[in-house]
Amino acid sequence: MTTPLLRVEDLKARYGPVQVLHGIEFNVFKKEIVVVLGANGAGKTTTLRSISGMVETSGLIEFDGQPTKKLNPSEIVRRGVAHVPQGRGTFPELTVEENLKVGAFIRTDKDIKTDIEACYSSYPVLYERKAQTAGSLSGGEQQMLAVSRALMSRPQLLLMDEPSLGLAPQIVEDLFTRFVTMNQDHGTTMLIVEQNAQLALDIASRAYVLESGEVTIEGRAEELVNDDAIRKAYLGT
Amino acid sequence: MDLLLQRIFDAITNGSTYALIAVAMVLIFKATTLINFAQGEQAMLGAFAVLQLWNWGIPMWWAVIIGMLFSAALAAGLERAFIRKFDPTDHLPLVIITLGLFLVINAIAAIIWRFDPQSFPQLFPSGNAFTYNNVRLSWYSIFAFGSCVLVLLIFQTLLTKTKVGLAFRAVSSNLESSRLSGINIGPTLQFGWALAAAAGTLGASIYAANPVLQIEPSMMLRALIFSVTAAALGGLDSLWGALIGGLTIGFVQSVVVQYIPFIPNEMSLSAAVVVLLIVLTLRPSGVLGTRTVERV
Amino acid sequence: MLQRVQSTNETRSERNYQVAKWACFVISLLLIAFAYVDVGTISIGSNNYNLSLIRLNKAIAYTIAILGLQVVIGYTGQIALGQSFFFGTGAYISAWLIADHSWPFLLTLLIVVPSCFLLGMVLGLPALRIRGLYLALLTFGLAAVFPSIVKLDKLYSYTGGAGGKLTSNYKFIAPAWLPFDEVAQALQKIPLLGGFFGDGPLSTREESRLWKYILFSLIAGLCFWLVHNLIHSRPGRAMRAIRDNETSAATSGVNLAITKTLSFGVASALGGVGGAIYVAEVGIASPDDFSSLVAIYLIVGLVVGGVGTLPGAVVGGLIYALVPDWASSTQSISFVPERWLQGPTGSLILGILLIVLTLFLPGGVVAGWRRLKSKMIAKQ
Ligand SMILES: Nc1ncnc2c1ncn2[C@@H]1O[C@H](COP(=O)(O)OP(=O)(O)O)[C@@H](O)[C@H]1O
Ligand SMILES: [Mg+2]
Repeated sequence: MTTPLLRVEDLKARYGPVQVLHGIEFNVFKKEIVVVLGANGAGKTTTLRSISGMVETSGLIEFDGQPTKKLNPSEIVRRGVAHVPQGRGTFPELTVEENLKVGAFIRTDKDIKTDIEACYSSYPVLYERKAQTAGSLSGGEQQMLAVSRALMSRPQLLLMDEPSLGLAPQIVEDLFTRFVTMNQDHGTTMLIVEQNAQLALDIASRAYVLESGEVTIEGRAEELVNDDAIRKAYLGT
Repeated sequence: MDLLLQRIFDAITNGSTYALIAVAMVLIFKATTLINFAQGEQAMLGAFAVLQLWNWGIPMWWAVIIGMLFSAALAAGLERAFIRKFDPTDHLPLVIITLGLFLVINAIAAIIWRFDPQSFPQLFPSGNAFTYNNVRLSWYSIFAFGSCVLVLLIFQTLLTKTKVGLAFRAVSSNLESSRLSGINIGPTLQFGWALAAAAGTLGASIYAANPVLQIEPSMMLRALIFSVTAAALGGLDSLWGALIGGLTIGFVQSVVVQYIPFIPNEMSLSAAVVVLLIVLTLRPSGVLGTRTVERV
Repeated sequence: MLQRVQSTNETRSERNYQVAKWACFVISLLLIAFAYVDVGTISIGSNNYNLSLIRLNKAIAYTIAILGLQVVIGYTGQIALGQSFFFGTGAYISAWLIADHSWPFLLTLLIVVPSCFLLGMVLGLPALRIRGLYLALLTFGLAAVFPSIVKLDKLYSYTGGAGGKLTSNYKFIAPAWLPFDEVAQALQKIPLLGGFFGDGPLSTREESRLWKYILFSLIAGLCFWLVHNLIHSRPGRAMRAIRDNETSAATSGVNLAITKTLSFGVASALGGVGGAIYVAEVGIASPDDFSSLVAIYLIVGLVVGGVGTLPGAVVGGLIYALVPDWASSTQSISFVPERWLQGPTGSLILGILLIVLTLFLPGGVVAGWRRLKSKMIAKQ
C-alpha cells in the first residue's frame, strides 16, 4: 500500500474552552478526490483549517510523509497545500489578475505568466475581467477565481471548503465538472468539504462523514450514495 | 475675493501636511483596522531626527531621507515589539499601546530636544511664486503640495507594482486568504508600519519647514486631530481620499472658519472634530472614500 | 444539620472579617490624613517628595474620574477616551457656580452631576452608531477640543478665558463639632509615633484641608458604593453582556441603546464629580488642566489599576496624582543624567507603565495583587 499524501490521525482542535474536533482520522492518496460531508457546525471547516495550520491542534497531520505540526500556514502552503476557504476566497479590492498573482506569491520561478495565461484560457471570463476588481464579479466567477488563485501556487493538494455554497445549481455543476477535468488532466489531489452531497459524491472516489467533530462513516463514494442513512441525512431522499 | 483666494492657498499648505499624516494612518488602518494614536508623535520624532542630522552637517534633503529611513526602521521595531502579539480584532489593548507610545515618544523628544521651539531647515525656496494684488502663493505651498502628490504617487507605485506592495494590499483585503496564499502576515504589516512612519516623517518635516512655524515636541498634537479627520473624510482606507480629506480639512480650517463670523479662530480644531463627528456618525465609510475615489 | 451550622458560622466570620477590613481601611485613611496634614515630605537622597493632603485630594478627584472610565470601558467595553472633557466640564460648572454665584461646593454637585450625565448621554449618542476604534477616535477628538472651547471669547464671562476661573474666594470651613484638634493632640501623645502627627493644635488652614480630605473621601465612598450597586444590578449585567459580546447581548434581550447611553451618562457624571473636586482642591479651573494629555493620563490610571476592577480606580488615581509629581521632584539620582530628570519624566514613566502593564499584566496592579495573594494562600 502506498503512503497517503495526507494522513490525519487523532486530530483534536478547540476554540477556547470548546473542543470542536474529537480525534478524527482520515487519509487522502495522490490523485484522489476525497469529499468530507457533514451538517453545519460538524467541524468541516475546522478540519481544513487545521491542515493549513490556521488553528491550534493536537494529534498528527502528515503531508507527503512529513508532519506539519511545527509549520506556520505560509510554510504549509510552500509544502504544496492550497486552500480555498469557505465563502469568498478572493481579494475583493484587488483586480482579477492581481488575485492570481497573490496566488503565486510563494513562487519565484519564471512560469507565473504562463500559468496566468493558462488560467485565462481555461476561464475566458476571467480574461475578459482581468482588470476589474474581484469584488465586481458574480458569485460563480469569484469561486472560479478563488480556485484559480489556489492553483497558482502549483499545489500537490487542493483543499476546498464548500465550493458550491451560494451558487446556482448549473454553475455548481459546471464548477464540479471542471474539478474532474483538473483532476484527470493534471492529477491534482483534492479534499472537498461539502454539504451538497449529491454532486460531491458523484465526482469523489471516497468520502468521510463528519458528525460533531467525529468521523462516523467512511467508504467509497459509490457505496455511500446508496447508503440509506446517507440518503436520508445528506441527499434529502 | 482676494482674501478668499489667499485662504484657499493657505488651505493647500496645511492640507498637504494633514494629508501626509492621514496617509500614514490610512496605511495602518487599511491593513490592520487599527488607528495609531502615536502616528503624529512618531512623525514629530522623525522630524527631530532630520533636524539633528542637519545640525550635524548632513545636506538637507539627505537628512530628510535618512530621517525617513530612521523612522521607518523604528516603526518596524515598534510593530514587532508591541503590536504583533495582540489579537488584531481586540481593539482596546492596541489603542492603549499606541497611547502609551504617544506618551513615551513625546516625553523622549522633550527630554532630548526640550520644549523650546527651534527653527527647522528651509526645505523649499523662500519667497512667492506668484503675487497678485494681495494674494500670494509661496513656493513653500507649491512644494508642500507637490511633495505630497509625489509621495502618494510613489506609494501607489510601491503598492501596485512591487511584490511586497501586492502582499500588503492582499492582507488589507482578505487576511485569511492572504495567510492561505502563503503570505507572512507579520512582516507584511511591519512593512505598512514602516511606510506609514516614513510618510509621517516627511509630513512633519514639511510642516516644520513652514517659514512661519518652528519645530517643538508638541507640534503634532493638534495636527493629529486634523489628520485623523482628514483620514476619516477619505474613508480611512484610501490614499487619495486622505489627500482630498487633508485638503478639505485645510479648507475648513482656513476658509470656513474665517468666513463664518460666529466661529472664532481657536475653533478650527473644534470645527475639525465636528466634521469628524458628522462623518463617523453619518458616513463611516467616508464622504470621499471607497466609491468615488479609486482605492489603491 | 451540622454542616449548616458550620456554614453560617463561616459566613459570620467572613462578615466580621469584611467589617474589620473596612474599619482598618477607614482608620488608616484618617491616620494618613492627620499625619500628612501639615508637612508630609519624604526625603530620599537629596530629593524631597511631597506627600501632603493636596496630592491625596487630587488623587481622589482622579480616582472618581477613573471610576467613570471603569464603568464605560471596563464594564461596558466602549473605548471612550474623552474623560478629560467631562472632568473639565464638571470643574468649570462648579467653578462658575462657586465664583460667580457664591454657591457652596456641595451644592454645585447637584448641578454638575445631572448636567454631565445629560451631556455624556447626548455625546454618547453617536456611539450607538459607531464602535470600537471610531469611537476612540471621536472621544479623543472631544478631549482635544475642550481647552479651545473654554477659551472662547463668547464664554469668557463664564470660564475666564485662557487665564482660568478662580474659586479661591470659597473656603472650606470644617464644622465646629468635628473634634479635629482633640484627635490631633491625642495622636501626638502616642509614644514613639506621636512625632509623625505634628505639634500642637491644627491651624485653620490645616483644619480646612483635613475637612476637604474627609469630605472628598466620603463623596468618593458614595460614588464607589453607587457604582458597585450599579454593576451588580440588572443594567450592570447588561453592560457586561455588551462588553463580552455585543451581538449576543442584543439577541438575549439587552437594550443596547439604553444600556450604552446609561453607561456614558454615568461615566460622564463621575468625570464631572471628579472635576468639581479637582477644582475645589486647586482653587482654579484653567484650560490646560483639561487637555487631551489628561485624558490619556486617566487611561493610564485605568490600565495601571486594572481595567474592570473597582479598587483599580484608587490605585490609578494615586498613580496619576503622585507619579508625575514625584518625578518632577526628583532632581538628582546618581548615574541618571540630569537631562532625563528635568524633562517630562513623569509622562515617560506613565507611558512606559501603560505599555509594560498592557503587555505583561493586562489585569493591572489589582489583578497582579490578587494573583500574588492566591499564590501565597496556595503555598500555606
Ligand atoms: N472562530 C471560532 N470561535 C469559536 N467557535 C468556533 C469558531 N469557528 C467555529 N466554531 C465552532 O466550531 C464548531 C465547528 O465549526 P466549523 O468547523 O465551522 O463547522 P462546519 O464547517 O462543519 O460548519 C461550531 O460549533 C462552531 O460554532
Ligand atoms: Mg464550514
